[in-house]
Amino acid sequence: MHGSVPSSVLAPGRDIRLDLFRGLALWFIFIDHVPENVLSWATVRNYGFSDATEIFVYISGYTAVIAYARMMVREGWFRAAARIYRRVWQLYVAHILLFVAFTAQIAWVSTARGMPALIEEMQLLGLGQNPFRAILEAAMLKFRPVNLDVLPLYIMLLAGFPFILPLVVRWPKSVIVGSVLLYAVSCRFDWNLPGYPEPKVWFFNPFAWQVIFYVGAAMAVLAPELVWFDRWRWPISIAAGLYLVFAGFIALSWHYNWLERQVPELLARYLYPIDKTNVDVLRIVHFFAIAWFVRLLVPRDAAFLKSPLLLPIRRCGEHSLQVFCVGTFLALSAQVVDSVFEDSVVAQIIVTIVGLGIMCGVAYGAHWFRKDARPEAFT
Amino acid sequence: MRLGALLLAPLAFLACSTVAIPVAWAEKPECRARRELLDLGNPLEVARAAVAEHKELRIVAMGSSSTQGYGATNPTFSYPAQLKMKLDAALPGIAVHVVNKGVGGQDAEEMTARMRSDVTPSHAQLVIWQVGTNSAIRRYPLDKFADRLRAGIDIGKSIGAEFVLMNLQYVPAIVALPDEEEYARVMADVAREKKTGLFKRFEIMRSWYDDGMPYANFVTNDGLHLNDFGQKCIGQLLSLAILNAVRPPQLTSEPKPK
Repeated sequence: MHGSVPSSVLAPGRDIRLDLFRGLALWFIFIDHVPENVLSWATVRNYGFSDATEIFVYISGYTAVIAYARMMVREGWFRAAARIYRRVWQLYVAHILLFVAFTAQIAWVSTARGMPALIEEMQLLGLGQNPFRAILEAAMLKFRPVNLDVLPLYIMLLAGFPFILPLVVRWPKSVIVGSVLLYAVSCRFDWNLPGYPEPKVWFFNPFAWQVIFYVGAAMAVLAPELVWFDRWRWPISIAAGLYLVFAGFIALSWHYNWLERQVPELLARYLYPIDKTNVDVLRIVHFFAIAWFVRLLVPRDAAFLKSPLLLPIRRCGEHSLQVFCVGTFLALSAQVVDSVFEDSVVAQIIVTIVGLGIMCGVAYGAHWFRKDARPEAFT
Repeated sequence: MRLGALLLAPLAFLACSTVAIPVAWAEKPECRARRELLDLGNPLEVARAAVAEHKELRIVAMGSSSTQGYGATNPTFSYPAQLKMKLDAALPGIAVHVVNKGVGGQDAEEMTARMRSDVTPSHAQLVIWQVGTNSAIRRYPLDKFADRLRAGIDIGKSIGAEFVLMNLQYVPAIVALPDEEEYARVMADVAREKKTGLFKRFEIMRSWYDDGMPYANFVTNDGLHLNDFGQKCIGQLLSLAILNAVRPPQLTSEPKPK
């Protein structure tokens, strides 16, 4: 088994770029989940097609290979698979806990804080008419109110991972081909998982979003071979750069009508809609254009990665599950607080900074608890 | 050199943000529409009688993803949920029921096919039929589109409901189509012919755009669906339009579209 796994995957040491960018994605997800937040201008979302979700899913695939391939080599496939399912279970528990905390927060705000509009909102969310059914559907991952869509996607992706892991370390290119095929077929035939209430479907279609996850997984194996692309460093960089400028232009046109009028109708006809549920090709290309520049500009051993300024973001990335859950919970709190201050910009900025501070606090706390435990354990 | 480029990136980001934040500050959207755009064109007699005589109003929201609330971060921002909340507040003592029958991706043909089974159980007096967008995207022939609309309205009327048609949304993906206005025109024609209400979503949203409101304020990043503000505002304006049509005359106060 050992011989068939490339040494790149087994190389010792932690690639802290993964922590940094996953931490950054978690910050962006929090900021973008506060509705109409001015600080979302500091996230990728307003400058192109893709957003933090792609970063998060890609890095999740990448780190899954690094963590579990080693385990598979050392302890065999069965044990690695068991560990992956233990992780899936942890994610599931976290999701259910988040669901309870989330609905409890709505209930508390609406009753204790005297905001009856929120009680009505909760009724309409599906909890009012038939709470037993809603709880059952939540346990089945079908009922995911307000922003609780990312963890179920991650759970589905990781649940399929044990079967792909032995394939991706041996034949990463075939896995990419298979993954792209599944993506194309599911988009063509509208495959998705059912949601609740009927006839909703999953906001992040796992059959489509797996392409980001598994290309990420394959890239972890193919990392040393990527030097092959460097002979075309300039043409690729120019193409990627032009695409990013184009995407930035289109994204900014949503904010400025005079820019929008410059977009030719025929072009717009091909561009739109830029589907998020099924990760539109435009989004995928945009993400990989960014990833190309990150690869060029941020080598694994770049000194600035260890800068103390970036440490809070890295810590968030290291403890991504806890930080993600806290961030989702706080995004709702931030929404409530913002509405109390009638969405004033100052309130939005303060609330966002406090929220990020709490997320970092949780990350440092988790780090302190786990300091003496396995330093390499992640995904 | 590399480090320099790296420092440049966050700096550029910061620069963008400092330029953009004041813009975002200034562009806080306001939910509004001119009075004549909220005129449904035909009176809602069945709904008005239900409110006046039976102290109830049963509404079915028939439609596709807009009705389902896709694109809003919270399902309660969807226009049927907003309609329920606004009508409850504006019609004290009247039992308002709104049943959401939105199915993402469906066009006029698919909705006509389920009109009877979806409207009958709720004994609706009023059907809001949000339609046209997916038909336009799929280039469904205009004459067949009109036929399906007529057929759907006839089915609904045969089980005692009257209609408000809600036409297409004014968003980049629809504006880019060569003949989106033809679909809006067909809907207006059918509404006139069948004496149903018409909620001019397309014209209302176009007036937002023409008044300088950027798409980002009311459309999600996919260029097709309404965002939180768009959904909420359409729900509020639709509520106003319906209230004007169903409120007993002595209660009719001046509508105040902001």
